[in-house]
Amino acid sequence: MAAPTSNEPLSDPTVRDRARFFRQALSRRLPGLGESGVGYVFLLPTFLLFTLFLGFPILYTFYLSFFRFEGVSDETLLWIDLPGFEFQLTRIAELEFVGLQNYTAMFTDTLFLQASFNTLFILLVQVPLMVGLALLFAVALNASFVKFRGVFRTVLALPVSANLVAYSTVFLLLMQESGLVNYLLTSVGLPAIPWLSSSFWSRMTIVGAVTWRWTGYNMIILLAGLQNIPQQLYEAAEIDGASRIEKFRYVTVPQLRPVLLFVFVTSTIGTFKLFSEPVIINSGGAPLDSTITIVQYIYQTAFIDFRLGYASALTYVLIFVVSLLSAAQLRIGGSADA
Amino acid sequence: MREETRREAVWQFLTYAFVLLGAVVTMVPLYWIAVASTLKESEFLSSTSPRLLPGDSFLANFESLQARQNVQFVGHPGEMTQYIDLGPFYFAYDFWHLWDMGAMESSIFVAVVYTALSLLLCSMAGFAFAKYEFRFKKPIFYAILATLILPIQLLVIPLFLLMSQLGLTNNYWAIILPWAANPLGIFLMRQNMRSIPDALLESARMDGATEFQLYYKIALPTMKSSLAALAIILFLFQWNLFLFPLVILDQGKYTIPVAINQLVGAQRVYYDQIMVAAALSVIPVFLLFLFLQKQFVSGILAGAVKE
Repeated sequence: MAAPTSNEPLSDPTVRDRARFFRQALSRRLPGLGESGVGYVFLLPTFLLFTLFLGFPILYTFYLSFFRFEGVSDETLLWIDLPGFEFQLTRIAELEFVGLQNYTAMFTDTLFLQASFNTLFILLVQVPLMVGLALLFAVALNASFVKFRGVFRTVLALPVSANLVAYSTVFLLLMQESGLVNYLLTSVGLPAIPWLSSSFWSRMTIVGAVTWRWTGYNMIILLAGLQNIPQQLYEAAEIDGASRIEKFRYVTVPQLRPVLLFVFVTSTIGTFKLFSEPVIINSGGAPLDSTITIVQYIYQTAFIDFRLGYASALTYVLIFVVSLLSAAQLRIGGSADA
Repeated sequence: MREETRREAVWQFLTYAFVLLGAVVTMVPLYWIAVASTLKESEFLSSTSPRLLPGDSFLANFESLQARQNVQFVGHPGEMTQYIDLGPFYFAYDFWHLWDMGAMESSIFVAVVYTALSLLLCSMAGFAFAKYEFRFKKPIFYAILATLILPIQLLVIPLFLLMSQLGLTNNYWAIILPWAANPLGIFLMRQNMRSIPDALLESARMDGATEFQLYYKIALPTMKSSLAALAIILFLFQWNLFLFPLVILDQGKYTIPVAINQLVGAQRVYYDQIMVAAALSVIPVFLLFLFLQKQFVSGILAGAVKE
């Protein structure tokens, strides 16, 4: 508030009261919408950021997907030069309209089809594996007899603190033909596995790396859900003579469904966005096409080949597929017991 | 009854074994990073007899990492180019150059600013959705929820063009602002803030609190653990952002993921440097995790992910 100097007009109580009254009155009916205006005021910054950085890109990607990028241009479209404010809008991209060509080209693009296959393969193996493991760990760590639960929880969740690029590199080293993992395998008498050089196993390496990293994170989310299941349900099940597995099947899983669903959807989206792991693990010698993911392919088309239009079309197809899949998951997960 | 207790014991043993195995498998790569960062490259790359005990080359590795031309991993005192010379007094004019930030500082700086900004925006939006009535509230909320499904980092191309239009290329705001209003954060805050009793807000209003005071004097303090949980999620998200920083940042402004990626050179990969960088990059998140670990579990309440 006001500094404690003697001639400060604000230190006069009546002035201060009046100022406060006006401030309150103002905050109540700020944009002339009465009480309800406050909600909009709280939402305003979010709304601005969403339109600028989400709304615009979504629409512009759609627009771009019907064009072919011809090159960079610095033609000025709009130039506002006011004292204290300058804004210049340049054309940036030279575009040529090609209609639906970008979308039809996809179906004959073998690399794109390969990338889709790889992504789906990783998705189908990785997401169930990881969510299953996370669920088992969460249930185990929720059992009251386990000591040092806090320690285990922290240890299991630690991999999320490892840097993406760094841990991919570490997996690249661990999975070498003569790396630590193969050393352990051969020392117990198992055959060494070509983790990085065969198409199948290099995909599995990516699955393993991603699972290693995100299982603990998802476990914590599931654990939070588990702790909110009412204890009476278990007691009731016990009175009915339910076994451990029955309790898991008929109490834990249904009660946890919303959380499980959340984990499934976010993991699916995460897998679709897979980018740095395949980029780095692929440098281990597997055939290039065997691990390339959709996002990696989009990056390559956009920022190495500079086919921005085609990359935009690919992005749109990906967004469409992800949305469809998430909606389907929500639908299945939400309505199974209704 | 004895049969029962024996089965119980077996069950407990199995649970312990499972959790322990998981913990060990989880720790192996992390431990290996820590050990490898203290070994010479030739020592940890040779596989005939993997070294499992730390060596003493950590500082040497760190120095070779710092000597890299294309990557500045940890910053160093900068050169103060601008001075104001007032007789006996010298003033450094360009305070930003007191310290030249490396990737480590950049990442921490960006992640902290992003987390703070995003917490503010998400809690404000969550508060609006939880405690106010206004027109189009439901449609707006569901529109925001729908963007959860959108893989936002995929909008790299238009974002890049937009940023160059706004003059934000090679600027940290470019990797902070686009995801500052985080739909997941808004959702979590809204779910949790619904538990704030209306009577509490109403009585504060009677006492003459402004609506904004309701938000920062009542809503925020009661949401501490949720905010902590959200802080971890947001921090990790920004910490791991790779694709867009790779596209938009130039050398000298790299964040950790981009910097480490830069170490994977075309001719020769210096694994010892990568290992040191990897080991160092774990530390800040590890500390954050240690401090906020308790709140992380309690903060993601049941209400958070229900519905």
